[in-house]
Amino acid sequence: MQDPRIEPQLSEAAAAVAVLELAGVEQRYGAFRPALVGVDILARRGDFLLVQGGGASGKSVLLRLMAGLEPPTAGTVRVAGEDLARLRPVARAHMRRSIGYLPPGGGLLLARSALENVAMAPWAAGATREEGVRRAQVALGLVGLDAERSARTPCSQLPSGERQCVALARALANRPALLLLDDLLAPFDDADAERILRLLDPFSEAGVTIVVTQRSAGAPLPVSPPWPVRARLLSLQDGKVGP
Amino acid sequence: MTLIDSRAAALRAALTRTVGQPLRFFPLVLAAAALFAAALLGAIGAWRLQPLEAPPWAYPQALVLAAGAEGEVDLAALGLALRKVANVSAANFVGRDAALADLAQRPGLASLGLRELRPNPLPDAFVVRFAVDAGPDAVEAAVAQLRKVRDVESVQFQPEAYRRTWALARLARRLMLLGAVVLAAAVVMGLSALAAFRLRPDQEEIRLLDMLGAEPAAVRRPYVYSGALSCLMAAALAVWIAAVVAAGLDPLIADLALQFGVHWSAEAPPGWWAIAFCAAATALGAALASAAIRVAIRAVRNGARGG
Repeated sequence: MQDPRIEPQLSEAAAAVAVLELAGVEQRYGAFRPALVGVDILARRGDFLLVQGGGASGKSVLLRLMAGLEPPTAGTVRVAGEDLARLRPVARAHMRRSIGYLPPGGGLLLARSALENVAMAPWAAGATREEGVRRAQVALGLVGLDAERSARTPCSQLPSGERQCVALARALANRPALLLLDDLLAPFDDADAERILRLLDPFSEAGVTIVVTQRSAGAPLPVSPPWPVRARLLSLQDGKVGP
Repeated sequence: MTLIDSRAAALRAALTRTVGQPLRFFPLVLAAAALFAAALLGAIGAWRLQPLEAPPWAYPQALVLAAGAEGEVDLAALGLALRKVANVSAANFVGRDAALADLAQRPGLASLGLRELRPNPLPDAFVVRFAVDAGPDAVEAAVAQLRKVRDVESVQFQPEAYRRTWALARLARRLMLLGAVVLAAAVVMGLSALAAFRLRPDQEEIRLLDMLGAEPAAVRRPYVYSGALSCLMAAALAVWIAAVVAAGLDPLIADLALQFGVHWSAEAPPGWWAIAFCAAATALGAALASAAIRVAIRAVRNGARGG
C-alpha cells in the first residue's frame, strides 16, 4: 500500500477500465417502499460522480452498497469487476481496503484523537503501528490538518468541519482506487467546500474514481464551480436515478 | 480496543483491557475462579473416590440358615448352590461355632456361659450378598430362589427395609447426577454471562473496523485473547482455591469415608491436572469470547443495515 500521494495522470487505456458497475440494483428494507429501484451506474477510472437527491432519496444506501457494506436485494454491484455480494467475507474485507468511504457524519470515534482515527484505516489494512501513524500524518497533512495537534486532540473537541476533514483523511489514508464520500460538503462553508473539492481533483485526475453525494432540495443543481467541470451528475429521487 | 492485525498487538490490547483495568477485571476473574474451583473440587472428589466401589453396607444382604444338625449338610455344596442363584454376588459362610463365640463375647451375654452350651444350638449360616445394582424385585426373586435351595432352612431378609433403602439410593444418585449437570451448566452459563459482561464490545469501533476492511478474525482477536487471558487467570486462581479448600477438607472427608467404608485416596491428583485444567479453561474462555464477539459483530452489522 502506498501513501495517499498523487501519481501522474492516467493513460487513455487505463482510463477505460470500469471501476464501479451497478446493474439493476434494487434495495428494499422489509415491507417499506424500496430505497433503490433499477439503478444502473458505470464509473471508470478517474470518473467523478456527483449524486444529488433530497432527503431519503437513497443516496446513503447507494454508497453503502457501493462500499460493500450491505448486499443489494436485487441486481449486482461490481467493484473492479468483482461482484461484492459473491465475495467471501475476508475477500470483501480486503476489497474494502481499496475503497475510501466517508459515511454520513464522518463515522469517527470521538473519544480518540484525529491521528488515531485516521491511522485505523492503514491498521485495518494490516499496516504496523508505526506505518499506520506515518500514513495518517501524511493524510492529515493533505487535508490541511496539523498532524501534531491531531495526535493530541480528541475528535470530540474538533469543530464539525475539521471532523469531516479527519474523516476524509481516513478515507484517503489507504490510497484508495474508489472514493465514496457521503454528504462530503455538508459541514463546510463555500470557501472550505472549494478547498476540499480542489484537494480531490488531483486524485480524480490520477485515476481515483470519486462518488460524492450532495443533498439538494427540489430540482437538481447544475454542475458548476466549485465542482469540477468533468463531474457527472446523477440525480436520485425516490430511489430512482433520474435523467 | 484498538485494532490489530498482528497477534502481538492483539495480545498487548488484551492485556491492557484486562490487567490494565484491575477494578473491573479482578471481581469478574474472582467470580469465574469460584465457578472453576467448584468444578475442580468436584473433579478432585471424583478422582479420590476411584476406584469407585460400593462399601459392604451398600450391598443388599440376606442371612441363609442351613438345615440339619452339625455334620448333616454338605456346606461346600450348599455354598456353591447359593452362589449360582441369579443376582447373588457372594455367599460367605458363618459357622455355628464362630457364631456362638461371637455371641458369647457380646457385653451382657458373657456371664450366661454360652460357650459351654453343648450341643451348639445355632445353625450354620451363609451371609448372601446380592449385586449392588439389583433392584428390590430382583432381590426378592433371588430370595425366593434361595428358599428353594436344598438344605436351606430359612432366609432372613427384610424386603420393606430394602425397598426404602433402594428408593433413597436411587434418589441420591439422581440428585448427584443432577448436581453435576447443574454445576457444569453453571460453569458454562456463568462464564458466558461473565464473557458477555466483560467483553462488552465497542460497537462503534466494530462498525468502523468492518467499514475499513479489517479482517473479521483481526476484529475478534483482541476480544478472544482477552477472554482466554481472563479464564487462564481465573483457572490459576481456582487451582489455588481448590488446593486450599481440599487441604482443609481432606482430613474430615477421609475420616467420614473410613467410617462408612468408602474408598478415599490419600494421594492428591497429579500435578499435570493443574496444567491441563488451566489449558482447558483458557480454551473455554477463548471459545466463549469468540462466540460472544461473533454475536456482537452480527448485531452491529444488522444494526448498521437497518439504520
